[in-house]
Amino acid sequence: MDSTGIVIGFWALSAITVVSSVLVLLARNLMHALVFLVIAFLGMAGLFITLSADFIAVAQILIYAGSISVLMVFAVMLTPLASRDNGNSLYVLPGLLAGLGIASLVGFVAVDTEWAEHRGAALAQTDFGDTVRTVGQLLLGRYVLAFEIASVLLLFALLGAIVLVQERRRQSAAEGSRESADGAARDGSVL
Amino acid sequence: MTDQPMRPPRPATPMLRQIQDRPGLKEMALGVPFGLKVIGGILGLGVLAVMALVGYLVVDGRLDGQWYDIRDLGFAVDGLRTWLGDQGVDHRITWIITGALGALGIMSVLGGWLLIGSWVERRVLAKFQIRMGPNRTGPFGLLQPIADAIKLMTKEVVIPRGADRFLYFIPPVLIFIPAMLGWAPIPWAPNMAYLDINVGVLYVIAISSIGVLGVFLAGWSSNNHYSLLGAMRTVAMMISYEIPISLALLSVVLLTQTMSLSEIVAWQGHYHVWMIMLIPFAAFAFLFASTAEINRTPNDIGEAESEIVAGFYTEYSGMKAGLFMGVELGHAILVGALMATFFLGGYTLFGLEEWVPGYLILASKIGAVYFLFVWLRGTLPRFRLDQLMGYAWKFLIPLGILQAFIVAIEASVFARVDAPALITLGAFAVVNIAVTVVLIRFWADRLGYAPSQHATKPVLTDALGGLKAAERIRST
Amino acid sequence: MTSLERSVDSIGTGSAEPFVLNIGPQHPSTHGVFRLRVVMDGEVIRDLDMIVGYLHRSMEKLAEERTYTQNIPFTDRADYLAAMTGNLGLALAVERMTGVEAPERAEYLRVIFSELQRIASHAMANGTLISDAGAWQTPLLYMFREREKILDLFEMTCGARLTTNYMRIGGVAFEPPTEFWPALQELLDELPDRTDEYAQLLLDNEIFLARTRNVGIISPADAINGSLTGPALRGSGVPWDLRKAEPYCVYDRFDFDIPVGKVGDVYDRFMVRMEEVKQSVRIIKQAVEQIPPGPHKNDIPLALRPEPGEIYSRIESPRGEIGFYLVSDGTPAPYRFHLRSPALINLSLLRELGTGSSLPDAVVTLGSIDIVLGEIDR
Repeated sequence: MDSTGIVIGFWALSAITVVSSVLVLLARNLMHALVFLVIAFLGMAGLFITLSADFIAVAQILIYAGSISVLMVFAVMLTPLASRDNGNSLYVLPGLLAGLGIASLVGFVAVDTEWAEHRGAALAQTDFGDTVRTVGQLLLGRYVLAFEIASVLLLFALLGAIVLVQERRRQSAAEGSRESADGAARDGSVL
Repeated sequence: MTDQPMRPPRPATPMLRQIQDRPGLKEMALGVPFGLKVIGGILGLGVLAVMALVGYLVVDGRLDGQWYDIRDLGFAVDGLRTWLGDQGVDHRITWIITGALGALGIMSVLGGWLLIGSWVERRVLAKFQIRMGPNRTGPFGLLQPIADAIKLMTKEVVIPRGADRFLYFIPPVLIFIPAMLGWAPIPWAPNMAYLDINVGVLYVIAISSIGVLGVFLAGWSSNNHYSLLGAMRTVAMMISYEIPISLALLSVVLLTQTMSLSEIVAWQGHYHVWMIMLIPFAAFAFLFASTAEINRTPNDIGEAESEIVAGFYTEYSGMKAGLFMGVELGHAILVGALMATFFLGGYTLFGLEEWVPGYLILASKIGAVYFLFVWLRGTLPRFRLDQLMGYAWKFLIPLGILQAFIVAIEASVFARVDAPALITLGAFAVVNIAVTVVLIRFWADRLGYAPSQHATKPVLTDALGGLKAAERIRST
Repeated sequence: MTSLERSVDSIGTGSAEPFVLNIGPQHPSTHGVFRLRVVMDGEVIRDLDMIVGYLHRSMEKLAEERTYTQNIPFTDRADYLAAMTGNLGLALAVERMTGVEAPERAEYLRVIFSELQRIASHAMANGTLISDAGAWQTPLLYMFREREKILDLFEMTCGARLTTNYMRIGGVAFEPPTEFWPALQELLDELPDRTDEYAQLLLDNEIFLARTRNVGIISPADAINGSLTGPALRGSGVPWDLRKAEPYCVYDRFDFDIPVGKVGDVYDRFMVRMEEVKQSVRIIKQAVEQIPPGPHKNDIPLALRPEPGEIYSRIESPRGEIGFYLVSDGTPAPYRFHLRSPALINLSLLRELGTGSSLPDAVVTLGSIDIVLGEIDR
């Protein structure tokens, strides 16, 4: 945080992120909320860039702004029309409490951490050049167990999704025969 | 055959007469005035002299690394930076100036290409379709894109009733910005990459994934069923086809051991090999999936004209629609650039880049891929949505995973075995091509596709009849 | 509550949200001003309504105020892609009604021109079908190349390209000019090559085969029950062609085959048309060889007064059986003039074909039925 450019960038990006995060809560239209969420994600990616974490930044754009948002779009699309507004909910109070709890946790950790581990010349020495290689080596070296657990978890999620869809298909096949009977009746009424 | 008096030959229509009267190349060459010929000759000799001088300088090595080295404009920018530093300009301002200069360069090249590209596409397509193409506005219709742009800009932008005005405004911008940003990491010469980040490949994929949201919002906010159908189709297709693209690029990254685009090109230049020769399946998967991502024939189901009018941008008018169309063209060129960078050796051409500016080589490669796109558009019908999705999930993705696996083994062999690159890479190429052929063959059999399903001809009959005759014919 | 709204309601109880899509009257692939109201469930069509009448010009009523000869131009505007066969249908109906005969040379000219018209119309039909399948107009423009030459032949004979008004009661309007015959010969020589070229372009194309095969299947029984005629019927495998079943003009003197499909899908209808072009070339070649000299038209009174009575006369147009039902009350104008439109009746099967298929399939199926709105709405 020694260069003015970085400082300006940090504050601008923080403002974008915070404002759009608040707008996510305030927007009545669910699609609008989604757009603000994407902007918040992009602001986060910008914040990562100011930290020279280019890999994380790009991954943030790729996964959150690119994929998760589209997933949410699909979720909104597939829900019935009635629930498409970002309206009042029964869970306002518990939600607020949970949010407050998480915020205080993050704040506490932030205050408690010794941030000045690298500073000045020590910071300049730390090589931020090739984060991908470093991240990859850490993932497959020091944190390989966590990595493997995560991948197994994802695999199970994938299998679970397939199983769920197959269940649905069998059901709908049974429904289909009934539906065709209905269809025949409907055609009769039309004629 | 008839006793009627001979009629004079039918007068040709004005169009036909114009085609008939058009002078051939020879007449045009002979018809040039003498003065022009002399000037042209002098100019030609001058160009030859300049080329000879450049050749001498290149051989001499006096050009290497100088700011006036036109083979690599990166040196010029470096020189400018040093000069500004010498003038006592603050380094931040220097970076801003050079950054703006680079962005301006890329944008103007891109803008010019968008204009010329639309003209080229229409003319080439016209040649495929035995028509003339635009030929009225300016010489050879060259001013047609400008006329189109003026028309689009002066048209009224209609916002349909019931549209979500806020969301309706965003998509043209949201889709245009990634199309511009995607150009940043492309290396035009060894020192001519605007944003030479070491996660270039990821950057490209990430940038392309933002456009999906723009497409979806366009379809959603228009309050039109055609738009919504087009948006759903496009989004479903983009999500599916991002996986084959990632797998194809993963193969490239595994082999080159880097995610930086300029290093990938440098790798290809160093070994004098194009990626498409080493991993043809990845190149094909990338090209095919890209046509799906950018809505080009045969995968243009997102804006299938004969089905859903213009897809997700049906309701857009004026320059907003113009932006969508421009982005479509820009995407085609961008994919050309990426294809050239990843699989066709980028700015390198087997040593010719020492003599010819690398950006010209890259531009001609982009042009070649773009021509391929136009060719496909002029030739192929469109897939159906389910066929296209099936193609991605049942064919490209499984084979892409297998290909990436094989390349991973090859990459580790390449890193460990200390043999001449010609032998190892040659062996990889042979193995990959053989595996690709075998895999495609096997997979086609698995999926029940028989190449022997050739077109059948109708039955010719002399008999007449009704249902019984029909059943007799069908049973034969 | 229309049937369509009812079907929206009956589907609406599920998890998906069906919606109504208006395809047309302004749409790239409705081949005119035809409107489909489609109930869609995602990409799948659950139900569809066909709405016609946007091009209604009250042709049949207007015809009751004009003499039989004056009605011939109406038939140009009915099926404007096959004006010659429309002309011929009315001329033959009136000839059968009044007992007027056409000279032999005129009968041959009628055969030549209606077969040329068939080639032109089939080129248009197949070209637009491929455009519907998504090829960006290239095959259409290739097929227009031959259609253009045929229209040139029409123009040099009767001065018009589309609305020919050529067939007359008791003959044809004009003798073809001298330069017509070499131009026709040239066309006949190159047409088989051209059709082979199209076949090469399209039939080796996996995408085209994937889009048209096993799509929009009409079984022979359905085709017969739906009163289909023309290539739509023959594509389903029913060998029925009025040129053979009830030979009019001089069709019984020519040697030609009826192409029929085996499956009844879009591809078969496409191929039947391709093959019919070849058969038409065969017919024209024989007709050019056999055509006798003589007058091209018999003199008939301007105002024909047929005996009171009625007649239904039908011929094979490129789209199927075009029939004319005429009722005369002894006056020079018909008391009732009705046109049996093959395209309208072929189209009536679209609801059965489209329901349950996806939107792209329905569009291709509509293209394969080959409708002309001028004839449907009249």
